[in-house]
Amino acid sequence: MALRRKSVYAVLYVVLAAAMLWALLPIVWMALSSVKTQVNMFSMPPKFIFAPTFHTYREMFSAKGNFGEFLTNSVVVSLSTTFISVVLGLMGGFALARGNFKKEKGISSWIISTRMAPIPAVILPLYLMFAKAGLIGTTTGLIFAYTTFNLPFALWMMATFFKDVPVDMEEAAMIDGCGKFEAFRRIAVPTAAPGIVATSILCLMFSWNDFAFASVFSGRGTQTVPVAASLLISQHGIQWGQAMATGTVIIAPMIVCGLAVRKYLVRGLSMGAVK
Amino acid sequence: MPQLTETFDRPEQATAAARSRGRAKGSRTEFWMLLPSIVVLAIISIFPFLFLIYASFMDYSLSIDAPSFTGLDNWRRVFESDTFWQSWGRTAIFGVAGLALELLLGVAVALLLYHAPKGRNLIMTLWMLPLFVAPVVSGLLWKYLLDPTYGLYNWFLERIGIHTQILGDISTAMPAVILMDVWEWTPLITIIVLAGLQSVSQEPLEAAEVDGASGFQKIRFILLPMVRRMIVVALLIRSMDILRYVDTITIATEGGPADSTKTIGYYLMQVAFRFQDMGTAAALGLTMLFVTMVMGNIFVKMMKKGEG
Repeated sequence: MALRRKSVYAVLYVVLAAAMLWALLPIVWMALSSVKTQVNMFSMPPKFIFAPTFHTYREMFSAKGNFGEFLTNSVVVSLSTTFISVVLGLMGGFALARGNFKKEKGISSWIISTRMAPIPAVILPLYLMFAKAGLIGTTTGLIFAYTTFNLPFALWMMATFFKDVPVDMEEAAMIDGCGKFEAFRRIAVPTAAPGIVATSILCLMFSWNDFAFASVFSGRGTQTVPVAASLLISQHGIQWGQAMATGTVIIAPMIVCGLAVRKYLVRGLSMGAVK
Repeated sequence: MPQLTETFDRPEQATAAARSRGRAKGSRTEFWMLLPSIVVLAIISIFPFLFLIYASFMDYSLSIDAPSFTGLDNWRRVFESDTFWQSWGRTAIFGVAGLALELLLGVAVALLLYHAPKGRNLIMTLWMLPLFVAPVVSGLLWKYLLDPTYGLYNWFLERIGIHTQILGDISTAMPAVILMDVWEWTPLITIIVLAGLQSVSQEPLEAAEVDGASGFQKIRFILLPMVRRMIVVALLIRSMDILRYVDTITIATEGGPADSTKTIGYYLMQVAFRFQDMGTAAALGLTMLFVTMVMGNIFVKMMKKGEG
């Protein structure tokens, strides 16, 4: 029996190891390739052991390559949309969790459909509207575009987090003469703080990772990092070294962010359906 | 004074009164707290939605600023075009094949992790990393891995005797982009299903053990039925996401070769921004939005059921 159990576990870990290899090899390969010389990068058979060089990164961040500008744009746009969405979503989500709105189911369906709407179907009307308003190629337009998915997300998530905060404390505060808004500010918000952090980080991630909106709405000087990555593809070929370095720079902060809110990841990615 | 005594005598009643007072007063506060979000959401979702409907009846081909009314022309063109149906067909193949593989692999890994005596957390952490990769990077990275000259995976394939340009061949390009989706999103199914498994109570499992159930019987008759709701939730979210993203295909194949990876989303982007036919693209967009709204409604119903 013990032997059988042992061999079952051995098989289990072998299968898991194979799954890990499938999941991680591409990422590891990207990171490795970003610190290779041209020669090492294109040598066949592929090289796993070599002397690393950071010259691709140095080139990217030098005055000649304007990668810093892309990076700044990404940070500005992502932080702005996150701030707007979380502040509005904080109040709205609380109201949704506590209030008795007659059309609650209708509002829920509306919020979900807006959050999950196919990006091409959102880009098109926004493009026509932005063209009229002169917002194409501007940072404002892009912030606005990202808020179309971040605001419904923040609203929805904050509502599920506030539903978990017991109403009793707020009610006790209100008996003590606190107003509803005061109870929200002094009790509900601090209690739901981890949820607020998790929601903010996920909003940041969704906007940081977007390419479709950015490729249509940003112009010279307002382009974000994912657009920078796509610009490395040209008719003459692809600058693989830079592409892998850019990819690494895009995913590294997101891995840190994602793992930081790991506890809330299931909840965020299942739109609160699984806690 | 009598009021105070009453409060002390019957605290429950007092709380209830305060509670209802709070509600009555609160409803108004809540309305004002929700209002800014609703207004902004209306501007960024209802207005574009109405605009999309309007655009689907207009002809933008001559000028984006001054479109002309064309009635049902765009809609007729959409429904009569083979490309439209083929793109939806490819989207369906992409969705069904992708989701089937993700479900199979995702649930399998979740079950393995559930039974793993050690290292569950560490393995889960590593397994979920592809989730954080921007779809555009995923497209670029896989294009590199499959590059016919420099690709690592291409080199592996050549070792086992497969010499073809994976992304340049109409028979292999679609399976390849499906695998990119599987690579990136299978962990989503795993984390949702594993969360479900971990909340399954031990009692029925122990009872089954006493009755002499085998490991597979426990999985088949206890664990899987109990996480059914999670699986449906995961599949709903994934299917909406498959309609949502076009990044990976845009980078990896641009819908090619010979349209073999042209899904409905990519087709829309092409009609709108390459052919500048905004009206037809709007009609395409509405067909996509319709599918998402149906799935969103099912999702909300499942959420409500889960709460009750």
